[in-house]
Parts: sequence; C-alpha cells; structure tokens
Amino acid sequence: MRGLLQLFAAYGNFLLFGFLELLALILVVSFNQRQGAIWDNSWGMATAMFDQSADWLGEQWALRDEMIKLQGENIRLMEQLDNARYSNAVRQDTFLRDSTEQLFTYIPANVISNSTIGTANYLRLDKGSNHGVRPNMGVISSDGIVGVVRAVTPHYSQVMSLLHRETRIKAALSRSGYFGTLTWNGKNARLMQLEAIPKHAVVAEGDTVVTSGYSQLFPQGLAVGTVKSFDFSGGGNFYNIQVMLRNDLNKLRYVYVIENEMWKEHKELDEAVNE
Amino acid sequence: MNNTVIWNIIRFFVLVALQGLFLKRISDGWVTGSLYINIFLYPLFILLLPLQTPRTGVLLLSFLMGISVDLFYDSPGVHAAALTAMGYARSLFLSLYEPREGYKLNARPTPGDLSMNWFLKYSASLMGLHLLVYFSVDAFSPIYILGILLRTFFTFVSSMAAILIFVFIFMPKR
Repeated sequence: MRGLLQLFAAYGNFLLFGFLELLALILVVSFNQRQGAIWDNSWGMATAMFDQSADWLGEQWALRDEMIKLQGENIRLMEQLDNARYSNAVRQDTFLRDSTEQLFTYIPANVISNSTIGTANYLRLDKGSNHGVRPNMGVISSDGIVGVVRAVTPHYSQVMSLLHRETRIKAALSRSGYFGTLTWNGKNARLMQLEAIPKHAVVAEGDTVVTSGYSQLFPQGLAVGTVKSFDFSGGGNFYNIQVMLRNDLNKLRYVYVIENEMWKEHKELDEAVNE
Repeated sequence: MNNTVIWNIIRFFVLVALQGLFLKRISDGWVTGSLYINIFLYPLFILLLPLQTPRTGVLLLSFLMGISVDLFYDSPGVHAAALTAMGYARSLFLSLYEPREGYKLNARPTPGDLSMNWFLKYSASLMGLHLLVYFSVDAFSPIYILGILLRTFFTFVSSMAAILIFVFIFMPKR
C-alpha cells in the first residue's frame, strides 16, 4: 500500500495524464464517425496481421518437427540401402548371401556456418562428439557429398568442405568404373576436377561421377556430379575432367554425417601395415 | 487569491462560449476546408492559469475545458485529448523557460507581468503542441500528415494573433 502511494506521489500526474488521454481517445473513437471508422479499420488490419504472423510461426514450428521426422526417416532408408551394409556373402548360392551387417550409419546435422569463397573453405555443423561425430567422418547432403569432418567439440564440428584446395576424394565414373581423385582448383564453386583417369578410359560428357567406396568415408555409388568437359591439356597420360557438382554448396542447410561402423578394423589394418 | 479563482472561472465560461458560439462559426462559415484556417482561443485558459496551480489541477481543468469545447464542436474527445496533452506539457515548458531569478511571487503568466519575449516562447510552444495534437487526433491517421501540418501552421498563425489581441486587451500590465 505504501509503495502504491509512493508510486502515485511520484508519477501521479503522469498516470492522471495517461488516464485522461486514454479517456479522450476512447471518446474519440466511440463517438466520432470518421475516427471510429479509421480505428475499426486499423484494428482489423492489425489483428489480421497478428493472426497471420501467429499462423506463420506455428507453421514454422510444425515444419521443424516435420523436418526432424523426415531426417530420421531418410536415415532409416539410407541405412537399409545395399551400399550402407556390409555383406558377409562368400558364395552367391549360400544362405550367407542375406547375412549382412550395418556398415554405415548416419547422424543428422544442420549447417550453422558455411563459406564458398577463397580456396580453403570450412563449414560448421551443430552436432559434435556428444552425438557421435568424430574427426575423419564423411558428410553428405541429400544431393551429394559435402566434405570431411576435421575437428569436433561436444556440440559442434568443423567440416572441411569439398571446396578446399587440399581435398582429395576418390571418385569413379559410374559407367566405365575407372576411378580417379576429385580436387578443387579454387575457381568455381560448382566445378571440381577429376584427376588420374587414364587415357584409355572412355569418357563422355554427361557421365555420372560417383563415390568409389575406396575411402571408407563414403558409401559406394553416391552421386557426386556429371562430367561437364574433358581434355588432355598438359600433355600427360591422364584426362583433365571438369565435374559439375550435383549439390550446390552455396545453399546447404541439412546434412548427414556418415559413421563407418567398422572404422576400428580399418585402423588396425592400417597400423599393422605401417609396422 | 479568491479574486484570481473567480476571474479564472469567468474566463473559463467566456472562452468556451466565445470559441463554441463565435469562433467556430467563423471557421465553419468563411473558410471551410480549403484554407485550413481555424481560430483556437480557448487554450488561453490553460496558458493563463496561475503559475502556482498544481499540475493535477491543470490536467483536470484542461480535460474539462477540452470536453466543454467538444460539446460545441460535436467531436467528443478530440479537443480534450489535445488540451490535456498541452496541460501536461505546461509545467515542463514553465520550468524550461523559467527566468534566471525565478518567477516572481503572484506573477501572472502574461507579457505584462513577465516579458513579451517570454510570453511568446511560452504560448507558441504550447499552442504549437496543442494544434499538432489536435489535428493529428482529428485526422487520426499518419497518411494525412501534409494536411495535418498545413492546418497546424495556418491555425497556429491565426490563433496566436487572437491570443495576443486578447491578452493585450484584457490582461494589461498591473
């Protein structure tokens, strides 16, 4: 009560002023035809606008939920594909043919920063070691490959983009099966170079370039892009192939991090060889 | 003191009658719409209230005055809104324009008791504010901004002339 009195002592005149103005404006809009009409009109517009933004917000939330659900659904389907499974088959006519194990699993992630300018581009994802992301995991989007995880923190991970001068990714021509190495010359964000395809291979414009599956980072047969042009400039025994990327890294939003379930065995083998 | 109160009560009724019965006819009859000219004399009542009037009193009186004029203009609330804003701003401008030695005891806010310069600043500020608020509330939409400013300007000139004439005739130097 004391506080209330003090409030009135301090701001009483202002409150009275506000009250009288409010009263006057209520009178204005209730008893003047013209001002009343303008008021009704504006009020209707304001409420309509508010309703609209509320609807929009609700839709966005619904879309977000739907997005997460669809990501999960995509992963479930991708993990059932042949290229995501390890086959134990040794002879085609045995029952072992159906015995497969999960080889690749996927972790959904959102891109929170990205760059395609310069020659050393990185992107950052909102998933990290807490969600199972480790360095040297491949990253793909629904349109193609994106890059390789370089570093992780509990909540975030840093991905070396395909658009990096040090990118070396094994890729194959899907029609002929010859494989080479994808690199980027730093010029065009949609064009990569496929090197080390031998001269005797048959190459045509429009050939599909896919992941070779030799790197343990990406499942075999993921589409990367198409051959845009090729020549032998430089005079070597290998093609210079320009590959048009399928996915536009300039507008990347949702990606999947690929986990190779058998990475430990590969590591053991690597160590055994190096000893 | 009692004398002052009675004079102010009389001034209240005179100004309301003058505004509602006479000045309204002038703006209605002679120059409708096209020239944007009105003459508003009634805010003079708030201008001439004694300097010591409590702010609460000023606010209530400005609302009352505004509503009374609204009765004649058949525009409930429009004059009241504008005059209440002016009544609230009055003490702000009074302290803003306070002479270095302060206001003299029992001085009236007139050019005779203070100075012409002071009264012009004081009345012009408050009238400008009043007219701007009045025409804004009257138009009730920012899309009429040009009309609002033109009306404010022309009415300001004519009203200030009327106020100065009134003050020189009825509030001579004591």
